[in-house]
Amino acid sequence: MKLVFALLLTVTVVVAQQQVPPRQTGVLRLRVRVKADDASVLRGLARKRFFLIPGTLEQNRALIDAIDRQPVTTRDCYYKKLGASAALIDWLKEGDCESVYCRGVEKDYVTGPKAVPEFASAFAASQKEFRSEETARQWLTTNLAADVRDGFYRNRQGVLDALLKQAGGAVHSVMIDRNGTAYFTDLGPGTYVLSNVIPTELGQTLVTWNCEVQVKAGDLATEKPYLISNRKDKLVKCVGIEKPKPICAAD
Amino acid sequence: MPQIKTKSVFFILILICVHPRSSAADYSKFSHATQKHQAACSTCHKVPTKEWAKTSAFPDITDYPGHDACVSCHRPQFFRGARPPICSVCHSKTSPRDDVRYAFRNPASNRQFATEFPHDRHQDVIALLRFAHAPQNYNNCTICHAARTTTFKAAPKDHASCFNCHWKSQQPVAENCNGCHKLTTPYVSNDQPSRISINFIHDGGGEKKQHVAECTTCHINITKAASLRGLKPDVPITSCTECHNKDGLRQDLSKELVAIDKNRGFVCAYCHAPNVGSLDPPASHYLIAERPPIKRRDIK
Repeated sequence: MKLVFALLLTVTVVVAQQQVPPRQTGVLRLRVRVKADDASVLRGLARKRFFLIPGTLEQNRALIDAIDRQPVTTRDCYYKKLGASAALIDWLKEGDCESVYCRGVEKDYVTGPKAVPEFASAFAASQKEFRSEETARQWLTTNLAADVRDGFYRNRQGVLDALLKQAGGAVHSVMIDRNGTAYFTDLGPGTYVLSNVIPTELGQTLVTWNCEVQVKAGDLATEKPYLISNRKDKLVKCVGIEKPKPICAAD
Repeated sequence: MPQIKTKSVFFILILICVHPRSSAADYSKFSHATQKHQAACSTCHKVPTKEWAKTSAFPDITDYPGHDACVSCHRPQFFRGARPPICSVCHSKTSPRDDVRYAFRNPASNRQFATEFPHDRHQDVIALLRFAHAPQNYNNCTICHAARTTTFKAAPKDHASCFNCHWKSQQPVAENCNGCHKLTTPYVSNDQPSRISINFIHDGGGEKKQHVAECTTCHINITKAASLRGLKPDVPITSCTECHNKDGLRQDLSKELVAIDKNRGFVCAYCHAPNVGSLDPPASHYLIAERPPIKRRDIK
């Protein structure tokens, strides 16, 4: 009798589990188009991380206030304060890089008139260590001081982690592609705040987006994207707040 | 009653003596999961291997640990008989006069470690780009995922694409094996992951090579992947149909769905191999074609 009861119970549990409807989720297709200044054309913002924070703007008020109050150190200011060479600052700026990892170090930047002093020193140390010139160049970041290498990126990550700890739930994050498009997938239906959390450097300004978005179950985002910009337009769903870049203390 | 007890004990004793020792260790197999093998990796593996330059273009672990690593605990097994089984863990010939070893690591042996790789962090630091980059230069993903065939990219196979940044000081560094390699249940490595759209060619897309886009344009989830666990190529149908099912352009998807309407045995072949092309198209495909989903079995 007991065996029959246990069997029945097991069958009931298995059937019940199989009948649980799949969780309905939605997709948000984000498109970011910006103008660096009035003379520039509108173009897709490339390769910046955006976050989707559960809840309304009001529910995330404390976090948004903290984002607004957060002092911003720009890349130039960070490296100037560090005493980095102008050549390194230019090299990072040219690639819109947050660390030296973001682009390969070509031969021209290791030796010769365009050489970046920090790279030249690291290359010399790498040559002794790795014997091959090619390996020495490709691995030269292993002989750069940590602050020069990725100190700016790590600082930003520290700020980001501290701010996102204040979010009420699991935060989704994606990076937009070179055309300014990204997909947030597997989203539960509801209200979210779309934010870049740390202001994006754009020409001479810093732009912050904090926008409230609705996600519907089953939305595959095959229609129009959720367009955000730093300029108003009828298709733009959220306009970022621009502030002038701070003056570096080292200037 | 006491007589039965005595008989039982006697019987059990016989069983213990006669039964072969099934738990005897097999020293021809090495497991990192053995408790005593779980000391710091550097106890046995030296980074880099002393003579790495002979076999590698960059400093790496290119060989098995030296004899000391085994003998310190396994002296009895080491000197047992003319062909000690323990030698066959590293040596392809078990002979004191021949030190030839399997390739390191032995491709025939099961994998004991899973690799931990956060794509999201690496996207942050290596996949940035400048606007002026020509298409062939902006896919920094190719630092690790070089072309294996014209169809699919390869996954990294060695330390070449890791150590150029993680050699020292940038954690996890080369000596911190556990930073990336996590002990797991032994498994057979599958170098040929299952593909859904086997006919897709990364370098294709007609004369203009329209497929040569930025990787994340189609692999939409990669920038949020903090781990390799459960990671799939994750290309939504919308990435394909932006060109392949557009009014006035092409109707590759819709045409095949119509072909199924006419013949439920039709095999979709534009993107898929028969093993996938003969299945019911998923709801997402019908959604793109603006039609309600149907099952092949319901077609008369």
